[in-house]
Amino acid sequence: MNDPIKTGLANGWRHIDAATLTEDQQFEADVVIIGTGAGGGMTAEILTQAGLSVIMLEQGALWSSSDFRQQERWAYPHLYQDGAGRKTKDQAIAILQGRTVGGSTTVNWTTSIRTPKPTLDYWQAEFGLDFSAEHSLDPYFAKAAGRLHISEWQVPPNPNNAALKRGCENLGWQYTVIERNVHGCANLGYCGMGCPLNAKQSMLVTTIPAALEAGALLVSRVSARQFQWRGEHILQLDAVPVDQHYQPTPSIKLRFKARHYVLAGGAINSPALLLRSKVPNPSGRLGKHTYLHPSVISGALFHDAVSGHAGAPQSIYSDQFVWPKGDEAGFKLEVPPVHPVLMASKLTGMAELHAGMMQKFNHLQVMIALLRDGFHPDAQGGEVQLDAHGEPVLDYPLTDYLWRGVQQAYLAMAELQFAAGAEAVMPVHQDAMLYSSWQQAKTAITDLPLKAYRAALASAHVMGGCNMSADAAKGVVDANGSHYQLQNLSVIDGSVLPSSLGANPQLTLYALAWRNSDLLAARLRG
Amino acid sequence: MQRRQFIMLGLAAGATLATGLTLYPMLAGADKNQQQRDASLVLDALLPAILLGALPTAEAEQQQALRSTRQAVLDYLPFLPKRQQAELQQLFFLLSQQLTRLALTGHVLTLGELSLEQRLQLLSSWRDSYLQLLQQAYHGLRELLLAAYYGQPAHWQVLAYTAPEFRAYE
Repeated sequence: MNDPIKTGLANGWRHIDAATLTEDQQFEADVVIIGTGAGGGMTAEILTQAGLSVIMLEQGALWSSSDFRQQERWAYPHLYQDGAGRKTKDQAIAILQGRTVGGSTTVNWTTSIRTPKPTLDYWQAEFGLDFSAEHSLDPYFAKAAGRLHISEWQVPPNPNNAALKRGCENLGWQYTVIERNVHGCANLGYCGMGCPLNAKQSMLVTTIPAALEAGALLVSRVSARQFQWRGEHILQLDAVPVDQHYQPTPSIKLRFKARHYVLAGGAINSPALLLRSKVPNPSGRLGKHTYLHPSVISGALFHDAVSGHAGAPQSIYSDQFVWPKGDEAGFKLEVPPVHPVLMASKLTGMAELHAGMMQKFNHLQVMIALLRDGFHPDAQGGEVQLDAHGEPVLDYPLTDYLWRGVQQAYLAMAELQFAAGAEAVMPVHQDAMLYSSWQQAKTAITDLPLKAYRAALASAHVMGGCNMSADAAKGVVDANGSHYQLQNLSVIDGSVLPSSLGANPQLTLYALAWRNSDLLAARLRG
Repeated sequence: MQRRQFIMLGLAAGATLATGLTLYPMLAGADKNQQQRDASLVLDALLPAILLGALPTAEAEQQQALRSTRQAVLDYLPFLPKRQQAELQQLFFLLSQQLTRLALTGHVLTLGELSLEQRLQLLSSWRDSYLQLLQQAYHGLRELLLAAYYGQPAHWQVLAYTAPEFRAYE
C-alpha cells in the first residue's frame, strides 16, 4: 500500500530522528516550530511556501501509514502523550492527546466543526477579541475545508452514531451530521490508531509533506526543554533526544537558533516549556485557565448489535444542551469509537461484573457528553504545573458547578439512549447499575454521588494555558498569537484558546493557524 | 511537600510510625531487577482476581493469559511519565513488604496467600476508602491491568471483536 511519507523520505525529504544522534549539534533556520499538530503542521506549510527556512520539532516519532497497526496496544504507547496514560494531577480525568508527527490530528476522530458563534461572542466580550466582519475566521474555515477535504459525511452513520440520531429524532432534539476531514475514507473506524489508508487528512499526510517537499527539516523524537532568552528576545532553544519510550534523555544537547520561534506543542506542553524557561509572565495567566471539555460517559445495551468499533467513529452530534438559557454548564452530545482497551479501562467494576459487560461488547452503545468549561466563574479550568522531572501535570479542580453539569449530562444521555431503543442504560459511574427504564434511571442518577473517581471522566480536547487576549493584562499572546513580552515568539496551537470551544477543536485551530501564520509570514518577509 | 514524600507518608505512615522503621532508604536502594520482582509479585496476585470471569477456564490457557498480561503491563510501564512510574513502583514495593502490606491490606498473609475473594474485597476497600491515595491506587491498577488484558487479540474471541490487519503486529 502507498505510504507517501516513506516515498518522500526515499526521495530526499530532510528528516532527522534525534534518538539516533550521538553528538551535540546546533541547527539554524528562519523559523523553528515546536510541535507538529494542527497548529504546527499548518504553520509549517504556510511559512515554507512563503520562502522561509523552517525546522519542525516533534517529541513523538515519525510513524506513517505502513507503520500503523490497528491495535490499541501499539497505538496508545506510540502515538499518544504519556502512552495514553496522561491524567490530571489528582488522576480524576484521563486525557487523550496525540504525540507523534501530526500530533493529535494523526489520531483524532476527524470531527470538523467551526468555532461556535456564542464562543466568539464570549471572547469578544471577555477578552476584546474581534473575529467578526473583516476579521472573521470564515475565509480560513473555507480554506482549511478545501485544503483538508472537509465535508459532510455522506455515508449512513454506524449504529453507535445512528442511536444518537434516532434518540434525537424521537425526542425532538437538535442533531447535526458531522463534517469530516477525510478523502477516500473506507469507513473502517480506526481513526484513533492512525489511518492505515492515508484517508484522514491529518497534518501527517497534508501540510507536513508539503513543507518537507519545499525543503523544511523535520526533527522527530526530540524534546524541547528550555528557551534561552534575554530582554525581549529568545536567543536559542535547548532540546534533548527522547529514548525508545519517549522519555527525554540528556545524553546529548541539541541547540536550535532561529529568527522566530513558533510554539505549537499543545495546551499542556506549550505552557510547560514556557514555565521551564521562566519567561516573563506579567498577566499571571501562563499555564492557567486550561480547559478540558471534561466528558461524562454513558453505556447502553441494545438488542441488535451496535459494533461501535466499526465505521466512522463520529458522524452525528447533538447541540441540544450545549448553550442552555441559564448559566448552567452546557454539554455537547457525541459518541466515541468502542474498542476493547478503551472500553475495558473506562467501564467500571472488575471481575465477573466487568467480564459480563465485556461479553456484551458488540451490543454496547456508548455516549459521551462534553462539558463546556471556561464560560463561568466556577469553571475557570486547571493549571499546568511542573513535576520534579520538569514534566507538566495539570491540576484541574472539579467544582460543584461542573458536577451539576455532570448530573444533567448523565440524565440527558440516559433519556436519549432509552428513546433510541436501549434495553438498559448504565452511566459510567462506580455506584451506577444497569437500569432498565428511563424512570428507574432518572431516580437512580439523581442519587449518584457527584465525586472524583466515582464518575469516570475523560478529555480528548485540551485548550488554553497561553490564552490570547486583546488586553496584555488578560492574556499571554495577542489575537495574532504574538507573545506579549518576547518579540520573536508566537504561540499557534490549542493553548491560545481563552475558553473551551463547545465544539471539537481541530477546525478552529486550523483556521487560527492559517490566519496567524499568514500574518507572521508577511511580518518575517517584510 | 514532594509528592514522593507525601505518598510515603500516606501509604506507609501506619507501619513506619508503629515500628519506628523508616522505609525511605530501602525504597531508594531498590534496583531495577528488584522493582520488577516487586511488580511481578503484586501483578501475579491481583491479575487472577481482577480478571475473574474473563480468564480462560482451561488451566494451561489461563496460566498463559496471566503470564502474557503480566508481561504486557511490565512492557507498558516505561511509557508512563516518570512521576507515575515512581508512584506505581512505590505501591508495588509497599505491597510486597511485610510491614506495609499489613498496613495496607489488614492481612498478615502475602497478597498471593489471600483467597481471590479476599483480594477483590481488598481492592473494593481501596475504591471506597476515604484516602484519596488508595482510591487512586484502585483506579490506576484496575485500568492498567484490564487494558493490558484486553489489548491482546488472544482475548478478543469472547468479545466477537476482530481488527483489520494491514501489517503484522511485532
